[in-house]
Amino acid sequence: MPLQTADLSLFIKGESCLHSVHPLSKLTYVLLTGVAVYCAPGGYLPAAILLGINLLLAAVSGILLQVWKFSWRTLLPLALFMIPIHGFLNPDNHTVLISFHGAGLYLEGLVFAGRVLLQLAAVLSISLIFVFTTHPADLITSLTQAGLSASFAYILGSPLLLLPAMRERAKTIQDAQRARGLGSDGGVIKRIRSMAPLISPLILGAFAEIEQRAIALELRGFNSARSKTSLRVVPDSATQRAVRKLMLLVCILLFIYKIVPYQYVSY
Amino acid sequence: MGVTEQFKKDFNTFTWVLISVAIVLNIAVGQLVSLLKLPIFLDSIGTVLVGVLAGPWAGGIAGLLTNLIWGVISSPVAAAFAPVAMVIGIVAGLCAKFGMFKNWWTAILAGLIITVFNSVVAVPIRLYMFGGITGSGADFAMAYLLALGKDLFGSVVVTVFTANVIDKVATAVLVWGIIKGLPEKASARFPRLVRA
Repeated sequence: MPLQTADLSLFIKGESCLHSVHPLSKLTYVLLTGVAVYCAPGGYLPAAILLGINLLLAAVSGILLQVWKFSWRTLLPLALFMIPIHGFLNPDNHTVLISFHGAGLYLEGLVFAGRVLLQLAAVLSISLIFVFTTHPADLITSLTQAGLSASFAYILGSPLLLLPAMRERAKTIQDAQRARGLGSDGGVIKRIRSMAPLISPLILGAFAEIEQRAIALELRGFNSARSKTSLRVVPDSATQRAVRKLMLLVCILLFIYKIVPYQYVSY
Repeated sequence: MGVTEQFKKDFNTFTWVLISVAIVLNIAVGQLVSLLKLPIFLDSIGTVLVGVLAGPWAGGIAGLLTNLIWGVISSPVAAAFAPVAMVIGIVAGLCAKFGMFKNWWTAILAGLIITVFNSVVAVPIRLYMFGGITGSGADFAMAYLLALGKDLFGSVVVTVFTANVIDKVATAVLVWGIIKGLPEKASARFPRLVRA
């Protein structure tokens, strides 16, 4: 797969130990984090601990600054809405912390908002670490090696290659329609009516290409049932395979713990 | 016809390419629509198209992968809503099976049905993962509903539904228009179109 996929995705080139971990191992860890944050006992604690570990992982692999920046960009708008809305308006609010002119800031809402933000921060940070340290081509190769069909690998990988060309075409259509006088001015009805002339050239143009692409693929043995060899090799080890299985087991156990009513577990 | 046979019939090379192109359309079309400054994103127009042209399975896959790829190229938050995108594709495919993309008014109905199922899946994710807040303009509606004394669940349901209904109806109607205007050469490729 050409290198340009890396420019489009969030992948950051690096030599750290996390970069060389097998993509599926990282993916399983992301899953484990997600399950642990929402299913593990102990309220705040699992999310807080995992967030700490994630920040450490990011620091070790030299991407702490990027993770930090990106997390803020995602979490700040959320927090700006979350804290006041739940602090003032959460239906479970009872304990007033500060009150002015009839409106009160409540403890329960703030605790709720804090918990949700902490959980999100834990899941977001590990997802970012995964995306930052995994080249899309490596992920796709490792998925095919694990038994994913070549057709699936194609629809996972090809959009990354098609996207720049499609964005370019969207830009051309936008410019062309603007030149014809289509714009953001005018009433709502007028703007709704101008939706079709904007969208349909893009879609019909893309459709015209499908046939050619399909023929090109079939000529290259896309439908062949024989397994394809790959130029790219993603290193894996017995230890990593074992750790992956262990993490999956923990995920399942945590999930069972969450859905089975408590009294049956602790008799 | 068995499920596996239908699956094989639906998924020829042409379908795989269609899915791949639709994923790109989903991502690229937002750039065009933003020009009009409407509360419409059309970010599932490719998914709905695939659902109508190649069946619910293909539609579901297109939706799921769109959001997962989004997660890799711009924001992991989109990946959390991947199940929602998948359901949009599946429901669009089922609506087409019942011939709902034949007229503009049944297409509107299909848009409404898609919104309902979209909300059924989106509400739990929004409620349990995000506490009902996603950091967008829709959060003002949330605040207003909570201030009126609605509970958290009710507020999220109403917010999700209203934020999606215009977008999904517009998507469905546009898809109806597009498949109607599809050149014969392309539409002959889709046996499902005879029914849609």
